[in-house]
Amino acid sequence: MSHSSHRSYSSSRIFGDAPGSARRIVVLPWRRAFGMCAANGRYRRGRALITFVCIAVVVAFFASSMTNQHILGALRASADVRVQAALERANAAAPDAASAARQRDQQRWLLALSALLCLAGITNTILMSVTERVREIGTLKCLGALDRFIVRLFLIENACLGAAASVAGALAGIVLAVLQTGLMTAFGLLSAGVCLRAAWYSGPRAAALGTLLTVLASIYPTIVAARMKPVDAMRVDV
Amino acid sequence: MTTRREIVRTQAVRKTYVMGGETVHARRGVSLTIYAGEYISIMGPSGSGKSTFFNMVGGLDKPTSGEVYIDEVDIAQLDPFELAWLRCRKIGYIFQTFNLIPVMTALENVTLPMVFAGTDPDEAREKGAALLALVGLGQRLQHKPAQMSGGQQQRVAIARALANDPAINLADEPTGNLDLKTGHEVIELLKKLKDERGVTIITATHDMKMLDASDRVIWITDGQVSRIQSRQELDIQIGSIDGREEA
Repeated sequence: MSHSSHRSYSSSRIFGDAPGSARRIVVLPWRRAFGMCAANGRYRRGRALITFVCIAVVVAFFASSMTNQHILGALRASADVRVQAALERANAAAPDAASAARQRDQQRWLLALSALLCLAGITNTILMSVTERVREIGTLKCLGALDRFIVRLFLIENACLGAAASVAGALAGIVLAVLQTGLMTAFGLLSAGVCLRAAWYSGPRAAALGTLLTVLASIYPTIVAARMKPVDAMRVDV
Repeated sequence: MTTRREIVRTQAVRKTYVMGGETVHARRGVSLTIYAGEYISIMGPSGSGKSTFFNMVGGLDKPTSGEVYIDEVDIAQLDPFELAWLRCRKIGYIFQTFNLIPVMTALENVTLPMVFAGTDPDEAREKGAALLALVGLGQRLQHKPAQMSGGQQQRVAIARALANDPAINLADEPTGNLDLKTGHEVIELLKKLKDERGVTIITATHDMKMLDASDRVIWITDGQVSRIQSRQELDIQIGSIDGREEA
């Protein structure tokens, strides 16, 4: 195998023909990075679980309110008299245009606020896990890790955690919403088709939103981690 | 005697910090040469600038003025990528607090610098196992740091420092978190590596036990080298230090 293809221009400029330097590269293969993140997740189960629950709860909220709206919308569109009667009883009949708009606005506010809270909460937990690992990150840098390796490790870790928590949260939210609308009206009125369509509509959206939020929330802590200096490895007070 | 290869050279190195509007001179113009295969101890009280000097020699900090050459490379001229490469391939670090990656086994810790260096995985595993055997932990490849004693962890850290055959090994208070006996074993190991493999070792320490293993001791006070003692001078002194310890 030829090593010359790996040779970096910038380092060969400085190091020239330094003896014993066959390859002038610093690398972290993706497979290895994923392995490190998985090991880290297992080792720090407690902290990962807190972040997981935090994301899952918020995504469940998104998913359940979206599913709820979707199912109610489908029921309201139904021509079936029994369905309309059940909606009447549950006080969930189609509202007039003005109050529907008001409700929609309220719903949006609530979603935006909870997204914001979620963002702050996740940022905080990830930031804590970064400060816990000051010495570890410093050590990685002493061993030759580039800033972008640290970025890679933290992004993989948080994106995986965010995606897993979002999927779990979305599923929980859909189940909750189906139960809730069922209890509110009557389970007999909810066809599998309506529920599945609602789930298919809201599940991926809520999960994508949760994952996106987690990745957004991890940007600042990741920058903090990447900017740490190798000399931080020497700190004895953390 | 063959001509000795210069491995670290500092020229009129100064380091100043601005703290609360006041300029603090951590280093006041130090010129020093360290040769390949030497065991150097940097001694001095805390706040003497010992750590500052040590960090500059180790490529962790750049001097305010003056030059630091590591293996003929002026570290002040390096960009972040080149510095990372230097740390990866040219410098081995040994820490007071061991700093093994807690989620990794002993072998994974030792092979990590080789992963960064792009070594073939099989080759890295083989070499990692050989290095762990060299430090007397051939039976503990799959142990996690938490399953090992402090002395064992420090041995793993020493094996990790040697992974990419660095030009220099920097040890920051390597015995600081170890008891007397284990500390002594670690010093013996470092000395053995120096004698048998020609490894260059630079330590910053308070530990008087280290004097015994050192080729030269650099005493630092108030940001300046106050004394450099060679092996011969040390031999005379060690008697009195041992005597004091026993008293």
